[in-house]
Amino acid sequence: MTKYIGLVFKNLTRSKRRTILTILAIAVSLFIFALLVSLPTFANQVVADSASSVRLACRTKMGWDYPLPEAYGVKIDATPHVAAMAACVIYGGVYHDLSDQFPSLAMDADKFDVLFPDWGITGAENFKKTKTSALVTDSAMRRFHLHVGQQIQIRGTRFAFNLQLTIVGTIAKGPSPDFLIFRRDYFEEAAGKPGIVDIFWVRVDDSRNLPQVAADLDQQFANSSAETRSESEASFIGSVLARFQVFLKLAAFIGVVVVVAIGLVAANTAAMSIRERRGEIAVMRAMGFRSRTIFSLLVAESLVIALLGGALGCGAAFVLLSVFSLNADVLGPFAVLRIPPAVLGQAMIVAMILGVLSAYVPALTASRRNITESFRLID
Amino acid sequence: MIPARSFVAIMGPSGSGKTTLLNLVAGIDHATSGKVLVGNEEISSMKERDLAGWRARHIGLVFQFYNLIPVLTAFENVELPLLLTQLKKGERKAHAEAALAAVGLAERMQHYPRQLSGGQEQRVAIARAIVTDPTILVADEPTGDLDAKSAEEILNLLVKLNRQFQKTIVMVTHDPRSERFVDTIYRLDKGIFIGAEPGGRAETLQIQPQLTA
Repeated sequence: MTKYIGLVFKNLTRSKRRTILTILAIAVSLFIFALLVSLPTFANQVVADSASSVRLACRTKMGWDYPLPEAYGVKIDATPHVAAMAACVIYGGVYHDLSDQFPSLAMDADKFDVLFPDWGITGAENFKKTKTSALVTDSAMRRFHLHVGQQIQIRGTRFAFNLQLTIVGTIAKGPSPDFLIFRRDYFEEAAGKPGIVDIFWVRVDDSRNLPQVAADLDQQFANSSAETRSESEASFIGSVLARFQVFLKLAAFIGVVVVVAIGLVAANTAAMSIRERRGEIAVMRAMGFRSRTIFSLLVAESLVIALLGGALGCGAAFVLLSVFSLNADVLGPFAVLRIPPAVLGQAMIVAMILGVLSAYVPALTASRRNITESFRLID
Repeated sequence: MIPARSFVAIMGPSGSGKTTLLNLVAGIDHATSGKVLVGNEEISSMKERDLAGWRARHIGLVFQFYNLIPVLTAFENVELPLLLTQLKKGERKAHAEAALAAVGLAERMQHYPRQLSGGQEQRVAIARAIVTDPTILVADEPTGDLDAKSAEEILNLLVKLNRQFQKTIVMVTHDPRSERFVDTIYRLDKGIFIGAEPGGRAETLQIQPQLTA
């Protein structure tokens, strides 16, 4: 079959504009497909990254909007195999505009750095010394052009009061690219000492003890007015992301719809291209080319176009995200989004299927059409 | 019956069945009844797959409108039927160059059809038809789209192929000027064979065709 490769590529030059536009259409569709299909994969990756964590999250069993009493902290700290504990309140918060919203968490300062040694924290000592201090992720620092020593005001979204904070350090790597940590005692003071906690973060002495500690904690608070649900960090992040599962699935569905739509356009283009060449196809068959060979040649042309489009689209998605990840300000929370190799493989398989299916019917019809009938149509 | 190595013309008014007869001989149309015998083979009973192979080995086709592939050069157009053979690339090149040289287009090998005149395009089509050394050359109105000078050149070329390379040539034509180039003229009317007569070359070459209805 190698002797036919030249013929396939020559036929692609028949209408260069059409070939280029078809390649670009497929490239755009597979670019979108690769991006959207990567979102759920990205979410799964975030969960997988935290699988080896020795932390667990203890929150109320009743749902996200119900806090736990801070008094639970004493009992949690005294539970066997608990190495460190920090209470956390989700403050919410907007820096300037509503679009500048990112997670702002009030956290106990004393054992904070022991709990999260993997976050690459700088300024932990100052954080412990100054009540109004805040730690901000490197990504958020770049995004909002902040610097250590700067005073900022965060407007409350969940609570009806604002906070004046001083940035004393940074966080290199956390569960989200953009977030801010400040001291829970400052929150308590500003909020009028409500004594509430959304999550108790617990570090366990050994990962093998995680299930036991989680069970012990939930057992301690069973049948109380605020029963708890304790789970590993991976499970906790998974349950947070599960709230967005419908959007992730919708994104993947839109990716598929885009590919199908472009597939129909590609099929129409392939049909047009083949119809224009009925005479040539008839001549080739009259020469002795078999129907099967003609069919293979026509499908191969479509396949080459689709694979070129696929490679272009996937390559563009991969390169673009790599470039954006170097400049996290542009993508915000998606700065860590990567296109996994598996998705690139899937996209190329989709391109292959697109190429074969778009030309299948017109190629089959053209390769089987009666030769003399084809000649009559072109005379 | 058309004798081997003869150059015959099939003539008749439009709708008389000339092209249909030619297509049957070339194995690109199917007879609704009767048999088509070419050489010792009954092609009317062949399956499509076998017929395609038979055409590739035995038939060279020349059309009125040349039907060259526009994205291929003259050389590539001529090489096209050779892709069906087992020849290696170098051998295909040698054959295609020889065929183009035989039709006087050795200097135009890398030209695309759009860069050639009608007469040259038809020469390329003839080179493509003879490159596989077929048993029979079938030509459907090969001069129908050419001016008088080019038409005469093409007819002379066909005569040369017939005499020099011993090709059997069956040509459908309306052109009365063709009569003096062929050995025998078969006349059809309304699908019926109405007679045969010697062409211009038959007397000169002292060839008496054997014809049966």
